Order: sequence, then C-alpha cells, then structure tokens
Amino acid sequence: MAKQKCVAMLLAGGKGSRLKELTENLAKPAVPFGGKYRIIDFPLSNCANSGIHTVGVLTQYQPLVLNSYIGIGSAWDLDRKNGGVTVLPPYSESSEVKWYSGTASAIYQNLNYIKQYDPEYVLILSGDHIYKMNYDAMLDYHVEKQADVTISVIEVPWDEASRFGIMNTDTDYNVTRFDEKPEKPESNLASMGIYIFKWSILQKYLEMDESNPDSSNDFGKDVIPAMLADNLKLIAYPFKGYWKDVGTVKSLWEANMDLLDDEQDLNLFEYSWRIYSVNPNQPPQIIGSQAEVKHSLVNEGCIIDGAIEQSVMFQGVEVEEKAVLKECVVMPNARIGRGSFIERAIVMSDLEIPENTIIRNSSNDILLVTEQFLAEHVEQQTKVEEA
Amino acid sequence: MKKSMLGVIDATMLPGEMGDLALYRSPAAIPFAGRYRLIDFVLSNMVNSGVQSVAIFPRSPYRSLMDHLGSGKDWDLNRKRDGLFFFPSPTKEGQLDRMSEHLDYFHRSDQKYVIVSNCTTVANMDFAPVLDRFIKQNCDILEITHKGEPTYIYLLSLDLLLRLIENRHETGYESVQAAIEDEASSLTKCHYEFEGFLKRIRTVDDYYQTSMQLLEKDKWSELFNEFQPIYTKVKDEPPTNYLAGSYVTNAMIANGCIISGEVNHSIVFRAVTIGKNTTIKNSIIMQKSKIGENCVLEHVIIDKDVSVEDGAVLRGTPEKPLLIKKGSVESAVTSS
Repeated sequence: MAKQKCVAMLLAGGKGSRLKELTENLAKPAVPFGGKYRIIDFPLSNCANSGIHTVGVLTQYQPLVLNSYIGIGSAWDLDRKNGGVTVLPPYSESSEVKWYSGTASAIYQNLNYIKQYDPEYVLILSGDHIYKMNYDAMLDYHVEKQADVTISVIEVPWDEASRFGIMNTDTDYNVTRFDEKPEKPESNLASMGIYIFKWSILQKYLEMDESNPDSSNDFGKDVIPAMLADNLKLIAYPFKGYWKDVGTVKSLWEANMDLLDDEQDLNLFEYSWRIYSVNPNQPPQIIGSQAEVKHSLVNEGCIIDGAIEQSVMFQGVEVEEKAVLKECVVMPNARIGRGSFIERAIVMSDLEIPENTIIRNSSNDILLVTEQFLAEHVEQQTKVEEA
Repeated sequence: MKKSMLGVIDATMLPGEMGDLALYRSPAAIPFAGRYRLIDFVLSNMVNSGVQSVAIFPRSPYRSLMDHLGSGKDWDLNRKRDGLFFFPSPTKEGQLDRMSEHLDYFHRSDQKYVIVSNCTTVANMDFAPVLDRFIKQNCDILEITHKGEPTYIYLLSLDLLLRLIENRHETGYESVQAAIEDEASSLTKCHYEFEGFLKRIRTVDDYYQTSMQLLEKDKWSELFNEFQPIYTKVKDEPPTNYLAGSYVTNAMIANGCIISGEVNHSIVFRAVTIGKNTTIKNSIIMQKSKIGENCVLEHVIIDKDVSVEDGAVLRGTPEKPLLIKKGSVESAVTSS
C-alpha cells in the first residue's frame, strides 16, 4: 500500500440508545438527518473535502444499514485505488471474538489497518455529530504546534458544560487537564471527539492501554489522561461554527429545525463544501394544487398535497390533502393520511399515518411517532371519544 | 434471455425546431422534467429492460451529452463486459453509414437482438414484452407504435442489422426506419402498440406542452414509478428550501432550490433561486438560473444559468412560450 500522510478512523459503532426506536435497527451514524442525509455523511464528506481519502469506518452495533449505505464509498468520492473507505467490523481471533469494548480498543484492534499505510498522523473521528470542518486545517495546526495530540474543542454554554468532556487549557491552548462530565466545570471548552495523533505515539499508548486491565479502553477516560500524566504535548484546536451532538430525539429534531433558521452557520447550500450522500434517485418533488409549503426543506421524491410549515421532509414522503404538519421531521417514505394533524414530532421512516390522525403536542418534548405510538395513540383517542 | 438485447440510441437528430434549446447541445441532452435530460428516458428504459450494452451515436455538439453520461455509472452501465459506448462519426450522415464505422462493436457483441431508438422520446417503457412479441410473431423487424403512430423505436435481430449495414448501398436504405418504411421489402414487419404515456420531443412547442402535461398527476405517474425508475446523472444538491413568504402550488421542483417567491403550474430544475415577490406561472426554469426579486414570469422557458434581474417582466403565450437562451442576462429594462 502506498504511504498516506494521514489516515482517518471513524468510530461508527455507537448505539445511540437515547434516540429510542430511531436506532432500533440501525447504528446512530446511520440515523437520517436534514431531509436527505445520514449523520455519517458529515464526517465522511468532511474527509473527502479535506483531502483525506483513507478512512477506516469502525462498525459494531446494528451494522447492516450502515455497511450497505457506505458501500465502497463512491457517494463521497472515497472509492479509491489507494486507500478509500474500508468498513472495519469487530473480528474474531483464534482464541476469542473481540468486541470493541471502548473507543481506544476499537482502534487498537485495527492497528494493522493503519500500519498498511504507514501514516504520520491518525485522525480519530466520531460518527455522531453534525458539523462541517476542514480536518486539513486542523492537521496544519497540529504540525505547526508540533503537538503529540491535537484535540478539537468548541466553546459550549457554561450551564451545559457538565454534559461534555471538558478540556482545561492554558492561554496557548495547551491542555492541562481533561474532565469527563465535570460537576463544576472550570472551562467551557468541550472536546468534540476529534483527535489528531502522531501515529507512533498513538500506537504506543494504545498498546499500553490494552495491556492495562483496569482501563475502560476509552480515549477520553483513559488514553488522554495517560498522555497528560506523561507530559506529552496535548493541544486544543478551537473550532468555531455549527456543531451538534444529535444524541436524543429532541436534539435530533432541534438540529433539523436549525436548518430552517437562516441565521445558523450550517449551510448545506455551500458549493465548495458539499455534504455528499447516497442519492435515492427519485423524481423531483411534486407540490400539488392544494398544497401550502411554508418555511420547510423538502427532498426529491416527495408529493406534498397538504400544508407543511417549519418542517423537514425526507425523500419519498407523501402528505395527502388537508393534512397539516407543523414543526415536524418526516423520515423517508412515510405517508401522512388525508386530514391528519401532527405537530412537534419526528415521524419514522415508512410509517403510514391513517387519515384524520390528530397528534397534538403542547409539551416541551418532541414526539417520536412510531407504529407503537400510533397504536397507543389511537386507543387513547377512542377512549376520549367514548368518554 | 435478459442479456440478449443491445441498445442503440441514435442521437444524431438535428436541432430543427428545437431552436435555442439545442443551441449548445444535442437534443438528447436537453434538460427535461426538473432533473433529467431527454436521453435519460430511453436509456433508463433500456437498462430497466435488462439491456447491458448501449451504443450511442452522437452528432456534434455532444460535449454536454458526454458530460451527462460520463462512464455510464449512474445508469449502472460502467461494466467490465458491455456497458456504455460512445461512437461519434463526424464524416458520415446516414444512420447505417455511421454504424458501418463501428462494425467491430456489433461483431463483438453476443446479444441476439437490438433495440434502435431515437433520443428524445419521453416514456416509461419495458422492452421485455416487446421482445416476447417479436419472438412469438417471428418478426424480422418490429416497430413500436403509440396511438397507431410510429415512435421511431425498432427491434430487430443483430444479424438483420448487420445485413442492413452491409447491404446499405444495394438497398439504398440509410436507416432502419427506411427499411421498415419500404413497402416493397420482403421483411416480416410487426407492430407493438405502447399503451402508456409517450411523447416524442421535436419542437419547442412539444417540449413546452409535454412539460406542462407532467404537472397533471395521472401523466406524471405514468412516467415515474418506483419499479422502473428513470436514472440520471447524480448531483449532490441539498433538499429544496422554501423560505418564509414562498407560495408554491402545482409545481415540480428539483433539489437545491431556494424559493422565496410564488411558483404556480411550473417546473423548476435544481439549484434555482427565486427571489421575494416574484411570480412564476406556467413556466420552466432550468438548473442554476437565478430569478431576482419582484419579477413576473409567465409562459417562459428559462434555459440554464440565466440571470433574471430584479423587476424583470417576461411573458410568452401558451401557444408561443418565450425562450430565454442559456447563460443570458435579462434585466428589467431589456424585458419591458
């Protein structure tokens, strides 16, 4: 294999259990987002746009959808003679099957993959976040600062800092301490889960970590603290721009709604930094003569005959006449029956909402409309009517 | 059986009454139905019917056609065996003459039958039952008809096609069409009547009327279905953004558009922007055109990359739509 300057390792095995039924049959990175994408399109497109063409994608939880989605990487222009995308599932050795027990062990078990390319640097990414970032600029920063490790950080609101892994730094962004979800944060620089390591150092510390029986094999909890303890040069790379962890139904909904906000920084229309995705190859969207489309994102293959407002429609969604959707995210190929009303909800893929289904939501939460939700909801409605 | 048909698309049609739509491009490459080019329909029909080897005979200018087709990947025609072939023939005029310059392709193919088609027929058609009929009726040459009229799509055996090419000087046939139209010939000719939606686009008027018909749901659904998809070159456009103040009814809209104005009974291709307080009716706006604010567009066809500046008023009539050339700039002054 030809030598590569930088190899990216994309951790895509996350279960994302707080996304409830959305991740019942697929891994979190495969969750649909933004009318046509899946979450993993963002790091993969960032790689392609940053000129990083060797990407190992580590899968574990429910990999079928993700594997077939990634294919040979052609959607992201990552089908390369040299490098390209390689899906790296856990595998068995002669003695045992090794599941990826933590982020660090996942990389450890694929050291041979990285070795093939004899890189100088390894970029570790997670498949859980929505953001556009030039990793090449981060790599330049890493080289310029002569760091052993560079960790991308973003300023988060102080009152939310205790939800994140927090980097404490000096004024030159040298990392002095790492606190995982601190109760009383002393900094509001949150780790974005994006690391650039010198390959030689990464290899050494992963081997040390693996031989430590007390380690939980996690970058944030084990590897980074061990490096700090050894006085390696860890530096924070301050990122400015849109970045969102879509770990819950509500945050996934919010991130979709953010796309409708003209003021936010995530511009999907930027030609020079396209977010690529597997094309569903459907005809243009049809907006019917009775339709009202207000402030919404609509993808190809949709047929809209009802009223939609402040909503995101994935490919192949049908909204029948007199149906009304407000602040909804409708996943691919769902059909909203005539006369229905739904607000502040995510509607699951392929779901058929029967005619005249009324789903109101005055709570702060976001409803996840699934087959089961419909069954329970219809039962409730009948009870109300009977009473 | 499935592998047994070759596809030949004759894309040498002269611009004729296509006017400025074919100014810089082959009629085969004229944008159509929001995200397609005319050739996508015939080509997708072939692929969906199991054809794995397609030969395209273009006429200059064919840059945009080649750019559109690329390696054939988007039609699944980037194959190790068979696939998509492009056979320019700059010095020859007749269809069979052109084919005679590329005899190797026909000799090397092991398919038994050939579909020979024009490049601007818009339909969603399965050729498999056509082949069944051809075999069952022992035809030499079969013509597909629509409402009894010729569609200029033919099915014949590769052997016969080779003979037509070889004997073209003796017979005087310039094309497969000439062979079927020769009443004196001894060939067994059959017809296959296609029942669905079919239009052959030959004039600006055909183009405009057929486009407008696609806004009728029953016509649209005869052309587009999930089992026989129409393939096209993939572009990575985001979903279309309908901004506050937009009002869109009865329209076909491709991805990547940003719409602030009003669109009614119109077709909008990808990556078009439509400014505030602009009204677009009964019109076709092709890809990447920019329509400014406070414009009025009625019965117009706006080609690619056109810029319509704020306040411009452009009006055609249903019988004679106003056609704005690719890349032009329309200001409020020139249009009024």
